[in-house]
Amino acid sequence: MRADVCVDERGTGSIRFSVANLRCGGCVATVEHALRERADVAAARVNLTLRQLVITLPQPDTDLVPIVDSMAALGFPVTTVASTGLSEVAGGAPAGAGMGNSLIRALAVAGFGAANIMALSVGSWAGADGATRTTFHWLSAVIAVPVVLYAGRPFFSSAWSALRSRRLNMDVPIALAVGLTLLLSLFETISGGEHVFYDAAVTLLFFLLAGRTLDHLMRDRARSAVTGLERMMPRGAHVRQADGSFVWAAIDTVQPGAAIAIEPGARIPVDCTISEGITDIDRALVTGEPMSVAAGPGDTLEAGTLNLTGTIVARVLRPAGQSFLAQIIAMQGAAETGRGRYVRIADRVARLYAPFVHIAALMTFLGWLLLTDGDWRRALFVAISVLIITCPCALGLAVPVAHVVAAGRLLRMGVLMKDGSALERLAEIDSAAFDKTGTLTTGSPIIGSAAMGAADRAGAMALARASGHPAAKAIARYLNCEPDTIVDAQEVPGNGIEARIGGRRARLGRAAWVGEVATVPADMEGPVFGFEGQVATAFALSETLRPGAVQVVEALRSGGVPVSILSGDGATRVDQIAALLDIADAVPDASPADKIAWLERRRSEGRHVLMVGDGLNDAPALAAAHVSMAPASASDAGRTAADFILLRERLEGIAQAWWISRRTAGIVRQNFAAAFGYNVVTIPLAVAGMVTPLMAALAMSASSIVVVANALRLNGVSEQNGSGR
Amino acid sequence: MTILFVLIPVALCLGVVGLLVFFWTMRSGQYDDLSGDAERILFDEDTPLIQRSNDGRQAPEQDRPQP
Amino acid sequence: MIANLTLEDRGAALLINAIGMAIGMVMILVGLGDLFAVHGLLVLGFCGGLFLLVARNLNAPVPGPERLASYYDDPTRVGVLLSLMWGVVGMAMGTWVAALLAWPDLRFDGAWSSFGRLRPVHTAGVIFGFGGNALIATSFHIMQRTCRARMPGQFAPWFVLLGFNLFCLVAASGYLLGITQSKEYAEPEWYADIWLVVVWIAYFVLYIRTLARRAEPHIYVANWYYLAFILVMAVLHIVNNLAMPASFAGVKSYSAFAGVQDAMTQWWYGHNAVAFFLTSGFLGMLYYFLPKRAERPIYSYRLSILSFWGITFFYIWVGSHHLLYTALPLWVQTLGVTFSIMLLVPSWASAGNALMTLNGAWNKVRDDATLRFMMVAVVFYGLSTFEGSFMSLRPVNSLSHYTDWTIGHVHSGAMGWVAMISFGSIYALTPLLWRRETMYSWKAVEWHFWLALAGTVIYVFAMWNGGLTQGLMWRTYAEGGTLRYTFIESLVAMHGYYIARAFGGLLFVIGAMIALWNVVMTIRRVPVREPERDYPTTSTALEPAVPVMPAE
Repeated sequence: MRADVCVDERGTGSIRFSVANLRCGGCVATVEHALRERADVAAARVNLTLRQLVITLPQPDTDLVPIVDSMAALGFPVTTVASTGLSEVAGGAPAGAGMGNSLIRALAVAGFGAANIMALSVGSWAGADGATRTTFHWLSAVIAVPVVLYAGRPFFSSAWSALRSRRLNMDVPIALAVGLTLLLSLFETISGGEHVFYDAAVTLLFFLLAGRTLDHLMRDRARSAVTGLERMMPRGAHVRQADGSFVWAAIDTVQPGAAIAIEPGARIPVDCTISEGITDIDRALVTGEPMSVAAGPGDTLEAGTLNLTGTIVARVLRPAGQSFLAQIIAMQGAAETGRGRYVRIADRVARLYAPFVHIAALMTFLGWLLLTDGDWRRALFVAISVLIITCPCALGLAVPVAHVVAAGRLLRMGVLMKDGSALERLAEIDSAAFDKTGTLTTGSPIIGSAAMGAADRAGAMALARASGHPAAKAIARYLNCEPDTIVDAQEVPGNGIEARIGGRRARLGRAAWVGEVATVPADMEGPVFGFEGQVATAFALSETLRPGAVQVVEALRSGGVPVSILSGDGATRVDQIAALLDIADAVPDASPADKIAWLERRRSEGRHVLMVGDGLNDAPALAAAHVSMAPASASDAGRTAADFILLRERLEGIAQAWWISRRTAGIVRQNFAAAFGYNVVTIPLAVAGMVTPLMAALAMSASSIVVVANALRLNGVSEQNGSGR
Repeated sequence: MTILFVLIPVALCLGVVGLLVFFWTMRSGQYDDLSGDAERILFDEDTPLIQRSNDGRQAPEQDRPQP
Repeated sequence: MIANLTLEDRGAALLINAIGMAIGMVMILVGLGDLFAVHGLLVLGFCGGLFLLVARNLNAPVPGPERLASYYDDPTRVGVLLSLMWGVVGMAMGTWVAALLAWPDLRFDGAWSSFGRLRPVHTAGVIFGFGGNALIATSFHIMQRTCRARMPGQFAPWFVLLGFNLFCLVAASGYLLGITQSKEYAEPEWYADIWLVVVWIAYFVLYIRTLARRAEPHIYVANWYYLAFILVMAVLHIVNNLAMPASFAGVKSYSAFAGVQDAMTQWWYGHNAVAFFLTSGFLGMLYYFLPKRAERPIYSYRLSILSFWGITFFYIWVGSHHLLYTALPLWVQTLGVTFSIMLLVPSWASAGNALMTLNGAWNKVRDDATLRFMMVAVVFYGLSTFEGSFMSLRPVNSLSHYTDWTIGHVHSGAMGWVAMISFGSIYALTPLLWRRETMYSWKAVEWHFWLALAGTVIYVFAMWNGGLTQGLMWRTYAEGGTLRYTFIESLVAMHGYYIARAFGGLLFVIGAMIALWNVVMTIRRVPVREPERDYPTTSTALEPAVPVMPAE
């Protein structure tokens, strides 16, 4: 946690947390107000869009543990987010999303130019003539030239780099159309001609940039899951020196056999064995299992797990590169390259379309040159009209607008989409695979059974309330009775909590530890509560189906998508859940590699599999599947790797997202059809010289608006699958 | 319509001011959390926020009448 | 109230008012024999009164530094009261001039009470007096709350508020005296215009300084609407009022532009005044008080920002649609028409956004007349922006131009949108400002709502029907190609409509009087609200305060 604190030039530190429970403005007010009251917080700011919290600390070395604890006590458990990287993956634009911001800036400039030049054009078009018109032309030129030079840069540079590598892309005709229109208009302005087309050039840029910006916003959210995971890892460790002091060393230099110190709240940097100290370990990153486990001397810890309660000293087992986490990262990187081969619909269309545009424009120019005996100005005008008419504005908007609208719709349904192409892929699925623990079942422990008397209940309640442990919270939720008064409550990391109730010692925690003071039967499992010298009672923990699981499996199956379970858990528990959900195909005891192999087999059969999972062990599978989803409670690794994140507790979002994706695919097809239909009608007219560049620009705007309006229909469609709210 | 050669530049200047302000809003992160900012006004408390940080924005000695 | 001013504030107040008194004296001396001296007297009296008020309380206790831990609401309170008082005066004036059209004898043969002098008192009274004070008061409230910061000083807000009201007084009294430069909504003469520039710059500086002190990093969208209102109005006001005084010792001045150029400037100003005074500022009010009152965030915050930029740009060139079928070149008219049509998009985006915000809170709209005021305002905003675009179409305009349809359109915007949103905001604001539990009488708010709605509907329908009748009569030809009706016949046909209009206006002004009474009674009779402990807030006003309807 300490490593995630950013220190700015004024000497204050700041740290970014992810807060999954943030749902509304009320939560924002509660969190910010509570933190503002604290003396060890200089400022706190919640970002509701990203569900994140940035805390500014008065000193860079302020102790974070009390702050984190107070947040958990408020009901907002937080996890740290590396200050760069994950925030971008989680969706939304981070402060310095360079490329996206420069596109928006170009769009604003183009919008300013287009609107003002349009105003002047409407004037000339409506009849301003003589000196007024000439002045308007010059005024337009003064606005248009800097606007085109600034806002056109993305297209010019892309076209130039394509030409240099002897390729053609869609930006080449765009750059040609805009550049030629501007130059010809300047020529006409200087020579006092009647027709200038600054409006066409700038409007063209505006619409293209609108499509490009939307596309960028959709595309850029998908960052490699691998880099996300890598960034989460500590970059160094405190290594014990010969004189017994600890020195911070880079992670690559930490050798096997070295002793390292790990403070509470920090991630375990390498695989190691505890030599001193006891603590609780959160293995959510690795297992997806939210319940922390106790660890003491002799226990082995995996890199990437989180040290929760105690400071420990541990002996390094193997170099950082060979840890379990490193292997997962490598596996995931390999799996991702498979998906990288997917070509988005828009790119497939553009590949076919670009050569056609060039040939059409060139043929038109040559044809008119021949027909008019070398009237190059006329020929160039017609060729420019063809370029503008064929300009892929509507094509460029066809996909991203539909995706943006769908993403907004999904967000309102509680599904976060990280990548536009994921929607295309989701529409194609023909089978689905679910992880069990944490995905089909809720990760939070539920008390299955506990037989105990009233005194025990009140005592256990008091102890459970005093502890911050997830299992203790579950017990408190389950008991839900008046607690006894306790004194001297003391949390023993790795074991449980001890306190005095009415003069007697009482313990709640691990069976062996409680057995030190109370009588614990030998076969007792799970958390145990006992008064000193009395017979202890046990709480059984069991997992339950996540709400909506049955409906989602049913919806998928009735939509022709067979469902499988891929779980790392034992056969008995997997079969139990499979029977509950009536799933025939259940694979128990699956390691991450097994899951990938299973998915690869399906892929080679030509199937498109949707993978839903949450833990680190699922992360490679999430990256390998055709498309993937993770519940909000998933491990950070899982959330990073998945294409969609379900923001709500329930699973219905899966079916809804699937349905929306198919609706979107339909809208995209209609949009392409509309754009092509428009081209079929207008290109012959343009080639025949019956369209001026201004008309071409207006027609192009009209077709863009049709496409946008069609995409907006996605907002209106009623929800057939599952219940929205 | 010679008057337009007064009115158009005036409008253009206002437009440029608007554009620059828009650039500033982007740079200063005004659009980072639109859903949170829409909610925030519903929960404002009835007292100004006195900042503890040392950036001096809220220093009391600034409460002086305009000259 | 003086006790809340620091010694420096009191000193500055005395100094500025002394300067004002001196200016008034000079105006009296140089303008003897001209109406200029009368306005000198007014300035002297206004500043002298304020000087005495401060001087008599000079030794009042001085506020401690604890004042900095709360917002400065005194000017907001006075602004709300001034707004309502101007509203009653301006609307009563409107009812009078409406009655004058039905019964011309009601002017009692005074020169000051001729239609041409009373009408600008009505228009300026409601637009600047009622609307302007409401805008200034709400902007003081909103900028402090959304910035989570107190205003930078205590003197500047008083200077802005009272300075603006001095301008309004000079303007209104000038109209009755016959002082006017005959530009619609810009009638005040050169000296009043210069004074307004000074006040407006102080307003802008105050706003920017408050924003600069903000403790909340995000600038809420309402502030952008208010800032556009302040900044653009300043530019419009300066350009349109460029004029050369005939004498610096007299009231008369001559516009810097002539003929159709002047007309173009005037309507460039005129329609942008509609845009940035009567729309942008009140949209700022809407975007703050509607979500607050409905306790729901604005439906699409992103859309509210986009429509801000849309409205600010598209409005600029709309003005020439006021001059269709005039000497203005055809292409300039077409330009205005084109932009008027495009303007519908951001306007309806705003209206739709506001209505969608209420979606899910319709039960509150049903129960809470304050929220209903805002809802009706949004509906009328949508209606009148559509009507405006529609009327700018040349064929429609050929029928509507110069008829009372135009008056109906303006009043569906002014009564339906501007006044309704202002009343809604004032009712939402009053209990917060004076820390009262509720309004004195929610039944009275209910009465006001229905009176205002009935008045608006009667007024607007009378003018729609009357305007269409007029337009159709004017363009009806007899068989020989001559006009079928004389002008006087069309006037006689309007008599019933004019009576209906005066009646609608009367209902509206009664509603405004009820509002003023209700606010005053709230201040005097309703106990100060004790902070409750049953939900987490440190707010002494316990925002948000949606009223619970008392059991009947």
